[in-house]
Amino acid sequence: MNLPTLIDSLISDTVQRSLPLFGPELALCATIVLLLLARVIPVVDQIPPLVIALVGAVVALVAAIPREGMAGLAAIERQELFTGMLVYDALTVYLRLFLTAFAVLFVILSRLTGIADRQDGQDYYALVLGATIGMCIMASANHLLSLFLGVEMASVPSYVLAGIVKGRRRSSEAALKYAVYGAGAAGIMLYGVSLIAGLLGSAHIPTMAQRLVEFDVAAKLADRDYTVMVLALGGLMVGVGLAFKLSAVPFHFWCPDVFEGASAEIGGFLSVASKAAALALLVRVGIGFTEAPQHGAEPPRQPVAAAAASFATPPAIRMVAATNGDERLAQADGQAGRSSDQTIERAGSAAEGSPLSPVRTFFVSVVAAVAIITCTFGNLAAYGQKNIKRLLAYSTIAHAGYMMMPVAAAIALAGDNPAAASDAIAALLLYATIYLFMNLGAFAIVAFLRNAMQSEEIKDYAGLVSRAPMIAVAMTVILFSLVGLPPLAGFWPKLRLLQALYEAGGSLLMFALVVAAINTAISLVYYARVAKTMCIDPQPDTSRPVQLGFLPTTFVFAMALPVAILGVLPELVAPWTRDAAAGLFGV
Amino acid sequence: MNSTFHLANLLTEPPGIAHFMTVGAVLFVCGAMCMATKRNALGVLMGIELVLNGANMNFVAFGSQYLQNGGEYLGLDGPLMALFVIVLAAAEAAVALAIALNFYNNHDSIDVDRADQLQG
Repeated sequence: MNLPTLIDSLISDTVQRSLPLFGPELALCATIVLLLLARVIPVVDQIPPLVIALVGAVVALVAAIPREGMAGLAAIERQELFTGMLVYDALTVYLRLFLTAFAVLFVILSRLTGIADRQDGQDYYALVLGATIGMCIMASANHLLSLFLGVEMASVPSYVLAGIVKGRRRSSEAALKYAVYGAGAAGIMLYGVSLIAGLLGSAHIPTMAQRLVEFDVAAKLADRDYTVMVLALGGLMVGVGLAFKLSAVPFHFWCPDVFEGASAEIGGFLSVASKAAALALLVRVGIGFTEAPQHGAEPPRQPVAAAAASFATPPAIRMVAATNGDERLAQADGQAGRSSDQTIERAGSAAEGSPLSPVRTFFVSVVAAVAIITCTFGNLAAYGQKNIKRLLAYSTIAHAGYMMMPVAAAIALAGDNPAAASDAIAALLLYATIYLFMNLGAFAIVAFLRNAMQSEEIKDYAGLVSRAPMIAVAMTVILFSLVGLPPLAGFWPKLRLLQALYEAGGSLLMFALVVAAINTAISLVYYARVAKTMCIDPQPDTSRPVQLGFLPTTFVFAMALPVAILGVLPELVAPWTRDAAAGLFGV
Repeated sequence: MNSTFHLANLLTEPPGIAHFMTVGAVLFVCGAMCMATKRNALGVLMGIELVLNGANMNFVAFGSQYLQNGGEYLGLDGPLMALFVIVLAAAEAAVALAIALNFYNNHDSIDVDRADQLQG
């Protein structure tokens, strides 16, 4: 294969296969370019940035709906896009739908709270949509480079968004803390990526899983081989980056500070979209490294890699001793042939399913332990908070802990009970979907009340029910749903989560089950305290009436109603989450 | 990778992947120390650059087929990832410096210890 044919195959792969399935991201990219050009082109500058952003987000949302409608979700075949960088399957489709829908709602919310004005609207919406693209890439990452790029593309705009309100000391402090911690975590993650990619000789996750099978972790572990240590270290370093995005203990320090310093809308953005994308990435990494690839067909990456190997002509100067060098070159040339052997071996190794069990145990114990600590810490720390945004930040940390539990359960179950494993992932997706309405609603209410009464302290919400009854009722519904009380939507994902943990069994996961149940009881105390302040406490004499317009009230109700409706009829969404999760384990 | 590895061998062996990884590891540790100890926000950002470049060192070394001590090598993925990281590091530095400038305008200092209004 020579260079022109290589380029031709790349172009046809990109244009014919990958780009049509990359529609939502392309729509968001085009919107960003238009927003940035708006300042230069006077005609475009006449259009309010909100309109451009909203149209772009809606186009992306429409492009994210699968062609056959939501019923076709189950039928989507797993495909690799862009020579194996991204994966396109039912989970990708579902999460892209989730993220673009969130982007639409968030653009509307930003308009209603007036955070983006005519002056910096272009920048603001470009950052929001840019972070959304990064999250879409995180949700479909299939290569360590796209993993890192996705995390960075989601993080870097978020740093700016945290400090977008100019001239506020707290806001600039939040942005600085977020940027410094975030960049540090990303650097550590990148070093971990370089270690595992280098040791396994590939950065394409299914290929890496295959190499891990050949590597035979169990035997190396018995020999006390240090390469296993390096792999585990690299894995933990990648975990640092993921834990930062998830705000999991012990990498949660930024979360309360950033949520308090940044405006409430940004808090909603970080707590819903960013968390969902990070959880999706955790699922991708977890499944990618603990499941030997079962698909016989190699990605289109292989011919490209083989061609690249044959390009590399031996140089005149050898950097290594000549005797070894020749062997290495022979090895490089033989690589193309070897990959076909691997395909044959693969069928056998997938049937056994055991060679990756040490990796699986490692992943499950780390994720479960972090989840247990995160959710307990979040709930205990939320207890004493006086600022509503800080309270919601700790609540976000606690919910990240809950949402990591089904991931651990799914990976533990994946080997022997794929149906139960896919149910666990479905529980996670249902949790994330319902969490969108609960948390976006809660942060929207905080933002509207900030505009109306210039305060974010919980004590200033006293007697809100007599001043703004609709808002107080909506907030109470959302808070009780965050606890997980039965008639509300928050109950179902929590129940399914506990079910998944019970199915998975094992002492650590059973402990996680007990901890999750106890934590739900603890969380009732602080959520109920806010509800009590709003609905029962007497109104202070000094307070002024709270005026909220028609549209903000409508938005709040649009968030609170699904919380109530999905509590009674969870089956409105649940089948989609099951379809989205089913493909992951070949159920 | 050989299963026996001694640091002292590095001085007698011809240059192999271990040498490059050692330099990368030293860069990483310097960067991590810098991030942990510097009180000046710019110092912290420089530490982050060192960490990223430590990782880049590994990527380029693992991507070279002439440095392998047996086993797999990353091929073109290595240098490509390093290129992406260089671009990302530039973007991240631009954003972080803008944020540091904004912080300076509000606090008249870029000492990270002055960022104490929000108690995590």
